[in-house]
Amino acid sequence: MSASQPDPLPMLSSEPAPSAAPASESNPIRDAVAEAISEHRVLLFMKGSPDAPACGFSARTVAALQALDVPFAAVDVLPDPRIRQELSAISNWPTIPQLFVAGELVGGCDIVVEMYESGELAQVLQ
Amino acid sequence: MPSAEDIKQRIEAAIDGAHAEVEDYTGGGDHFRATVTAAAFEGCSRIEQHRLVYAIFGGEIGGPIHALSLKTQIPSTIETH
Repeated sequence: MSASQPDPLPMLSSEPAPSAAPASESNPIRDAVAEAISEHRVLLFMKGSPDAPACGFSARTVAALQALDVPFAAVDVLPDPRIRQELSAISNWPTIPQLFVAGELVGGCDIVVEMYESGELAQVLQ
Repeated sequence: MPSAEDIKQRIEAAIDGAHAEVEDYTGGGDHFRATVTAAAFEGCSRIEQHRLVYAIFGGEIGGPIHALSLKTQIPSTIETH
């Protein structure tokens, strides 16, 4: 007499993963940061605005860009801490400011000022 | 709160052969300026060199270490013969 056993492993059946997972990971702030980086050739993420920088490092970076008379877009990271979190996750760079040119991270204040002084910044921004 | 000496030792311990000069430029234990010289930077872009140093401190940067201003260099580029 053979008792037919029910499938003992119903929990391991190959059900598709809940399709809600990827959708629920949509991240509008990260998307907005990535979009800004791709849309502006020269983009500075900073604390405050170019007219009113809220941090000395941001102020020095703005000054280097302005000294070269290059138009640039700026994003103030202060209004929402998530902007900074998502930006650093994308750029793998922990501090603000961050200068992007043609979608690539050029650097923060130290690198930008160093490049300004050596003339490299002018070349990159041409 | 880390001291400039703590920062120096952590950089030199983490990057093989590195020499670091670290200054606490506000005296408050949260704004540091470091010059790091290491052969390990060879072949890395300036961004990658800075990332190597920032990686030592992870989430402390922007947290307890409000600012770590960096200058990185490769020994051969500063040697004078």
